[in-house]
Order: sequence, then C-alpha cells, then structure tokens
Amino acid sequence: MKTTILEKDGELVAVFEGRLDTAASVETEQALKPLYDCTGHNIVFDCTKLEYISSSGLRLFLSVLKNAKPKGSHVYITGINDDLRTVFAMTGFTNLFEFK
Amino acid sequence: MFLGLSAHAWITIVTVLSIFIVMARTRIPAEIAFLGALTILQVTGVVSEEEGMAGFGSEPVVVHAAFFVIIAGLMQSGVLYWLTKNVLGDPKNYHRAIVKLMIPMSVLAALLNSVNVVALFIDAVKIWARKLNIAPSKLLLPLSYAATLGGMCTLLGNSSNLIIAGLYMHQSGQTMNLFAPLLPGLVLTVVGVLLVIMLQKFIPPRDSAEQSFETTSDYTVELLVPTDNPAVGETVESAGLMQVKGGTLVEIVRFDKEIIMPVKKDEWILGGDRLIYAGQINEILELKRTHGLAAADRHVWSINDIDSKRKMRTAYVSFGSELIGTSMTQCDFEQKNDVALVAVARQGKRVQGQPREIRLQAGDTLLLECPPKDDEKLEQNNRRSLTFFDSHFVPHLGLRTIYSAVILVLMFLLSSFHVLPLMATTMMAAGAMLVLKCCRMERVVRYIEWELLLILGTTVVFSVAITKTGIADVIAHGVLDLCGSNPYVVMAVMCLLASIVSEFVSDVGSAAVFFPIMYQQAILMGCNPMPFVMSLMLSVTISFASPIGSSTHMLIYGPGSFRFTDFARLGVVMHIVLLIVMLVTVNLIYPLYL
Repeated sequence: MKTTILEKDGELVAVFEGRLDTAASVETEQALKPLYDCTGHNIVFDCTKLEYISSSGLRLFLSVLKNAKPKGSHVYITGINDDLRTVFAMTGFTNLFEFK
Repeated sequence: MFLGLSAHAWITIVTVLSIFIVMARTRIPAEIAFLGALTILQVTGVVSEEEGMAGFGSEPVVVHAAFFVIIAGLMQSGVLYWLTKNVLGDPKNYHRAIVKLMIPMSVLAALLNSVNVVALFIDAVKIWARKLNIAPSKLLLPLSYAATLGGMCTLLGNSSNLIIAGLYMHQSGQTMNLFAPLLPGLVLTVVGVLLVIMLQKFIPPRDSAEQSFETTSDYTVELLVPTDNPAVGETVESAGLMQVKGGTLVEIVRFDKEIIMPVKKDEWILGGDRLIYAGQINEILELKRTHGLAAADRHVWSINDIDSKRKMRTAYVSFGSELIGTSMTQCDFEQKNDVALVAVARQGKRVQGQPREIRLQAGDTLLLECPPKDDEKLEQNNRRSLTFFDSHFVPHLGLRTIYSAVILVLMFLLSSFHVLPLMATTMMAAGAMLVLKCCRMERVVRYIEWELLLILGTTVVFSVAITKTGIADVIAHGVLDLCGSNPYVVMAVMCLLASIVSEFVSDVGSAAVFFPIMYQQAILMGCNPMPFVMSLMLSVTISFASPIGSSTHMLIYGPGSFRFTDFARLGVVMHIVLLIVMLVTVNLIYPLYL
C-alpha cells in the first residue's frame, strides 16, 4: 500500500495505490497526517489505483472529512472502481462524500 | 451384638443414615451417594453379590426403564406434543386457570407419571402465565401439586409407588394391580386440588428467569445499521447509540467482519455495521423504532425495505437439532426461513459475543425476528430443529401417533385386568413402540434417565439389607413397645415418620427404608399388610414442604425461580391435612383384619 500527498491546483490530493486493508491502515493514517493540518484547501482522494478498502480504511476517510468540513473544505473522491463503489454505497459513504 | 443389633445391622444403619445426610448436606449426585452405599454394603458382606445386583433387575427398575421407552415413543410420535397443545384450554383468569390446569394434569400424571407430566407442561404453563400476566410460579406450583396428587392414583404415577409395589411383591409374592392405589389416591387428589384452590394466596409470585428476554439485564442483542440511517458518519455517542435506554453498546462488527471492541465513544458508525448491545432486550429493541436500526440477516439499504409488521418470536433449540454446533453465519437457516437472529440466551445467562456467531447448543433460547405471516409454516419446516415458545403447531396425527396412543391404552388395559403382570406389559409396550417405529432406536437412549434407574436399583437393596440384618424386626418391635399394639396408632406414627423423612430425602429412599419395617409390624400385629403398605405408599408422596421431598417440586424449582422456603408455606398445610385424610381413607377402604 502506497499513499502519496500532492498539491495540485490549490487542492491537496492523496493518491492511493494497492489495498487499504486493516493492516495497512496504521501506515496510511500516518501518511494522511498532513491533510489534518490543511486550512481552506479542498482535499481529493484519488482512488484510481486503489484495489480494496476495508472498514478501517473508510474510518480514515471519514476522519479526514470530519476534520476538514468545519474548516469549509470539501473532500472529493475520484476514480473508484466498481467494487469500491459498492462498498461506498453500502456503507452510506456515497451520501457523505462528493464524487468527481 | 450391640443394642440387640448385629454388626451388619449397624453398618446398614450408618450407611443409610450417611446417605440421607450426604443428600441433605452436600451436592454429591444422589446416584453416586447411593452407589457408594451399595458398595459399602457389598464390601462389608451385609448383602451378597447376588442380592446387591438383584436390585437392578427388580420390577421397579425394569418397569421404569421400559416406561422411559414408552415415553420416548409418545414424545417422538407426537402424542405428548398433541396433548400439551390440546389438553389445556384458554383460561380467562387465574382462578379458572388453576382449575383448568390441575384436573387434566392429575389425570395425565396418573397415566404418564408425575415427573413426565410436569417436565412436559412446564413451558406450556409458562405461556399461560404470560398470557394471564401473572408470575409463572403461581401456576407452576399447582402444576406440581396436581401431578404428584394424580400420580398417587396408579403404580406408574409416582416412582415410589412402583418401589413399594415391587417390595410388596418380593415380600408377599402377590403382584399389585396397576390401579391398586386408585381409590385412596383419588380421594387425596380431590382434597389436595381443593386445598390448593382454597389456599392459592400462599403460592408466592416469583419472577421467572425464563422471562429472560423481557426482564433480565444481561443479554446480547444484535442490530444492523441500514445504509440510509442518519447516524452513518456520526460517532456512536453523538448518534445516541452508545449508552441507550436499557443497555450499552459493547461491540461493533463492520461489514468486512472487523470487530471493534471495546467501543470508544468517538467511534464512527458506518452503514452495514452490526451493533452488539448488552442489556434489556425489549428496551434495546426499541432502537429499531427510535433510531432506525434493523434486525436482519443480510444487508439492509433502507429501514423502509423492512416490513414493519415483522415480529419477534422465541424458540428453543431442540435436542437433535441440526442447528447444534453451528452458528447463524455458518448456515443458511436465516435466509431459508426469512428470519433474523437477534439474541441468544443460554440457561438464563448472557452468552458472550455476536449472537449470529454463537455456536448453538441444545436448549438455547433464540429470539428471532420473523415474517408477519406463516407462523405455522415456519414451525412445520423447522419442527426437528426448533420449538417455538408461542407455538401454533399442532402436528398432523399420523399413523404412528395413533399406534403409540393405542399401545399406551392397551398397556393399561392388559395390566389393570391382570391379563399380564405389569413388568411384562410395560416391556411389551416398549417393544411395540420400537417395532412399530414410534420412536427411533438410536434416540431412545436419550430418554432413559440412568441416574433414576441406579437410585431405584440401590434402594431395593437397602430394603433387602434392612430386612435381612434384622433392623426391620427390631425397629418394628421397638415402635410397638412404645406405641402399644394399637395398629392405628402404629400406622399413624410410622406414616408421620416416613413422610417427615421424605421431606429431607427422596420419597423413593424413604419408601425403601420404611417398607420392611411397616410390613413387619403388620405381620407382628396379625394385621392385613395392605393398609400399612398403601398408607406408606401415599405418605411418602405427600411431602410437599421442601423441593427435596418431591421430584416434581424439584423440576419447577429452577423454572419458577422459587426460593427453598417457598414450598413450605402451602406444603406444611398440605402435608398435615393430606396425612390425616389419607389415614382415614386407607382404613375405611382396606380392612385391618382379614
């Protein structure tokens, strides 16, 4: 599992590669730390190369969202495959996040 | 010789007294205590090997063993199930319920043995209690009384009756008719039932542990968060799902089976989470209404997808059920039946963990959310696996149901008209049950209570030892010297003693000890032994003041959540009145001198 944070067009983009399962979530949480300090930037989760996401992975997404929202930031998700779409739909995340 | 008794006699006395003390004071199983005593009697040479083992082949033991097979046949072919559904009516109030309960129960107990009837009807009576909104103890105690009283009417009705009939045959060489105690038994039953009805205020109301799903605070309930639930994305605390009325969230199982335990108050809620609560079931189930949670076996997208008319039903996991050893997540039971397991209770205790992951055991109580309709279909499809508490199921009267009912009736007819002795008829009936496949051979063993057979076999040996070592003779003479030779006084004193001893040990043990003494007294006074034998038979079963003395009280003790002393309130009055009525009745029916 690889997580990279980029700044692109004034947005913070987190690019995920591989499987975000329970074992990988601790490492990913560390990698996402910079997103917690964002002020006013919108955040994009680029899931184009994300193969799988576990419930612990979803918790990380949710934590970032809950931290960013009060600061007026938007959190977008982009590039999810059909399997991930099902997981997002089932867990009710489709209603929480904005999709690009 | 010491005080006129030999060393063997003293060994017997000490051994028998020790048994009584062990049974009253320790938790050592009765059959172990009895077998220990038998070993002592054999090792010390009080009884020979042959005498020691003869008890296990004696009439009471063989008849009981055969009767277990007959009961298995009646159970498996649906006769008993049909009886539980049809014998009891639909009472409107408590007073009528007692009458409607006690009369048929005493009749059935006479035919099927008091212990069987109580075991059979405990659940049905609890359902009545629930319908009438009274404590189950208020009906369970009358059930126990009715069964023991009714059991006094036939030899099969109470185990001690058979023991005494067996010992009587051994001593006199005469067999006793199956309905020998009918007349005095009937009088005692009528008086006893009337007493219970009149003194019903002495029956204590006790909340039953079996109302577990409604009242106890220690059960685990599983509820699902539908996708569109507003709590999704909130923390458990902010959504009001952490500390809820009547319970606490103890575990979250995510959609990918990840388990969050313990749950922190800032834990997020995701759609598809299974929230596991510990607490009062009814209050926790309110979360379905107040917080839009669902009881479901599969994912739920919206609470609106669930039929709001679905209802909760309670069922027991039957012996031999295919659900034993498996959990709901491992089998397709829920999908096949369109039900969802919400909670599991095991002997009134909370079972740790996610209910749907629990490996089920026989006797577990399941709380299931079921479709609003087709109750009977659900029961019919699962009748080998589950017994529904609010059963609507009346089994179809198959050919085997009729066979087993006919076998039972024939057994009573053949035996009561002396066509064949009781032992032969019961063995034939048991054989017929097996041959006609009313019960499956491999299942029969489960219905045999080996402990009881061991106890019965050993008590017969005690009786032999008491006679053989001269104890019966010495005590018989001793009591005669004290009470004079008035047979009425002797009988009354002996019956009083026997019934008091029965309060503290089993009725069977007391019967075996007192029989040789009373028989000897009758012979010494030149009296007809029958009134002595009959009065002993009835007096050992009127010991209602403690749960130890009555096997049926013992059965309802747990399910009714009784306290030890609860039985004494009504029991002491019953004991005294019935003892007097019994002595008068027996002496009116049986002449003292032939």
